[in-house]
Amino acid sequence: MSHVTPAPGNSRPWKARLLSHEMLLLYVLLAEWLFFYFAGTTTNRRGVVVGFGTWDRQFDILRHSCEIGLLALALTPVIITAGIDLSVGSLLGLSAILFGQLWHDAGLPIPLAIAFTLVLGALAGGLNALLITTLRLPPLIVTLGTYSLFRGLAEAITRGSVTYTDFPESFLFFGQERWLGLPTQAWIFFAVAAAVWLLMHRTTFGRSFRAIGLAPEGARYAGLPVGRRVALVYVLAGLIAALAAIIYTARLGQAKADAGTGYELFAITAVVLGGTSIFGGTGSVHGTLLGVAAIAVLKNGLACLPVVMRMNAAEEMSGLLTGALLLLALTAGVLPKMLSKLRPRRHAPAV
Amino acid sequence: MKNSLLRLCAAGAVLLASLATAVAADSKLVVAMLPKSKGNAYFISCKAGADKAAKELGVQLLFDGPTDSNAAKQNEIVENWITLGVDVIAVAAENKEGISTALRKAQKQGINVITYDADALPDARAFFVNQATPEGIGQSLMDEAARLTGGEGEFAMIVGSLTAANQREWQKHVEARLKEKYPKMKLVVVRPCDDLKDKAQSEATAMLSANSNLKLIMAICSPGVPGTAEAVKQAGKAGKVKVMGLGLPNENRRYVKEGVTDSVILWNTGDLGYLTVYAGAALAKGELKKGAKTVKAGSLGTFQIAGDNILLGKPFIFNKGNIDQFDF
Repeated sequence: MSHVTPAPGNSRPWKARLLSHEMLLLYVLLAEWLFFYFAGTTTNRRGVVVGFGTWDRQFDILRHSCEIGLLALALTPVIITAGIDLSVGSLLGLSAILFGQLWHDAGLPIPLAIAFTLVLGALAGGLNALLITTLRLPPLIVTLGTYSLFRGLAEAITRGSVTYTDFPESFLFFGQERWLGLPTQAWIFFAVAAAVWLLMHRTTFGRSFRAIGLAPEGARYAGLPVGRRVALVYVLAGLIAALAAIIYTARLGQAKADAGTGYELFAITAVVLGGTSIFGGTGSVHGTLLGVAAIAVLKNGLACLPVVMRMNAAEEMSGLLTGALLLLALTAGVLPKMLSKLRPRRHAPAV
Repeated sequence: MKNSLLRLCAAGAVLLASLATAVAADSKLVVAMLPKSKGNAYFISCKAGADKAAKELGVQLLFDGPTDSNAAKQNEIVENWITLGVDVIAVAAENKEGISTALRKAQKQGINVITYDADALPDARAFFVNQATPEGIGQSLMDEAARLTGGEGEFAMIVGSLTAANQREWQKHVEARLKEKYPKMKLVVVRPCDDLKDKAQSEATAMLSANSNLKLIMAICSPGVPGTAEAVKQAGKAGKVKVMGLGLPNENRRYVKEGVTDSVILWNTGDLGYLTVYAGAALAKGELKKGAKTVKAGSLGTFQIAGDNILLGKPFIFNKGNIDQFDF
C-alpha cells in the first residue's frame, strides 16, 4: 500500500472517523429508516396506524434478521482471513434436520439436542477447515463442494419430504416470543455479536486474522500458526450456522431440508456492504452489523410502501435494490482511488 | 470519498422517493392472498378469478407469495401483512404447521384468516375453501365415465398407488357411485402406476392387449392420464377406447385436441380464487359467521358450507371445447 495506514485505535482525527465506511453506512441506514418511516406508515380502514412506523414492525425486522445476521457474523472472520464459506446456508439446513432428528427420532430432550447440533455444526465447519488447511485447497472450491454436500445430506436424510414439527412451546419461545421487551432470539444474536466483536477487535486473534488476510506468507514468517487460526474461523462458522439453524427452527416451528436456502449469499452481501474487503485483511464486525441492518430495513421497508404493495413485487424489488445498494457502495469505495490516480501528482514521491 | 458517497446517498434517496407516492387514506377493504408459489400457472389462474371478484366487490387485492414453494417465505409474507394491518389473509399453505403459527398471530390481531387450496391447522383459520371433496371427485369421475360409455361396458382404472390415502379415498367413491347408479358397467381391473407416466403407459398397454372388450380407461393420478393416452394412441385404439381422468389441462392438452383423451377432470381454479375473495370479504364484513350454512359469491351464486369447509362444489370437466380457455 502506497499511503500511510492510519494508526489503529482512537488516534484517528474525528473528521476521518465521521467519514469512515461504517459511519457512512450508518447515515445510509438512518436515511433509509427515516424515508420508510414517512413513506411506509399509514392509517388503515379501522383507523389503526400500520406499516413501517410501528413497534411490531421494528421487532419483525429484528426477528427476521437474526439468522442471516448470525451467518454474516460467522462469515466476517472468514472473509477477513481472505477466505469464503459458501456452505453456511446449506449447513443451516442440515443442522435444522439433524436437530429435528435428534429431538423427534432419537427422543433427546431439547437442550441436549441443541448441544449435539452445535457440536455437529462445529464438526461440519471442521471438515471445511481440514480440507482448506491441510490439503491447501482454495476455500471457494472446498465450500462450494460442502455447499452441495450438506444440502444433499439434508435432502437425503429426509428424502426431501420429512418435515419436523410440533416442537414444544418452551422451545418455540426462542423464535416466536419476546423476552425483556425484545424478540427472544435477538438476545442470542446480540450475545454472539458481542463475542465475535470482542474476538475480532479486542484480542490478538482478531489482529492475526487481519494479518493472515493481508499476507498469509508474511504472517507465517512472523511466527503465527496460520493453519490453526484459519481452521478456527471455519469451525466457528460451522458452530454459528448450527446456532442459526436452531433459531430458524424455533421461529418457523419446523425443520425442513430447504431451510436457509440462499442465505449464504445474503450474508456475504451484508459482510461486503459492511466494508469487509472480499480480498481479506480489512473489515469490522460493527460494519457487518450495519450491513445486515441496512439490507433488512430496505427489504422490510419496501414491503410497506403502497406502490410496491400494489405491484405485488416486494421481494423482487428488495432483491433489485439490495443489489443496487451493494454495487453503489462498492463503486463509492473505489471511486476516490481511481480519481486520485487520474489527477496529476502535486508532490514528488518521497525517495 | 466524501463527495462520491454523498452523491450515492442522494441517488439512493431519489430512487426510493420515486417509488413512494403520497398515501391517500385508503378506505377499501384489503384482501391479501398468498399462493404456494406465485409463478405457478395453477395459482396465476386462481388470481385471475380473485382479481375479478376484487373488482366486483371494490376491495384491494394483494397477491404475493414466494417465487418458489418456500414455507419460510410464506411466514415472512404473512408477518408483513400483519403489520400492514390488512383485513383478510387468504392462504394456500405450503406447510400446515409452519404457517399456522403466523396465522394464529394474525387472528390475534383481529385479521380474518381463511385458507384455500391447501388447508392450515383448523384453529389457525376461520374457514377453508375446499376445492374438491373426495366424494365430489369420485362421483364426477364415475358420472363422466358413464356418460362417455353410454352407461354400459367394461372399464379399467389406473391409480397412483394402491396405498396413498387420497387415491384410496377417490377410488372408494368411484366404486360406491358405480354400485349405486351404473349396474351395467363393470370395473375389470385396477393397476397402480407409481405416479409415473411411463409406468402408466405400460400398464395401459397391458390392459388393452388383455381385455379386448375394454371401453374406457380412467386414470385418477395426474401422470396417469397422458400415460394412458399415449398407450391408447400407439395401440391405434383412439376413440374406440375412451381415456379420461384427473389431471391438469396443460399436460393433457395435446391428447384432448387429438381426440385421444375425452375428458380431464379437476376444479375450476379461477372459480376457486373468485370464491376465496368473496368468502374473505364476507368474513371481514361480518356477513359470514361461524356456523353459517351458505355463502354468496357474486355471479357464481351460493355455495354450501360443511362445518368450516366452504365447498367449491362439483369438479370441472375440461374437454375439447373448453380446454383452450385454461393455462395451467
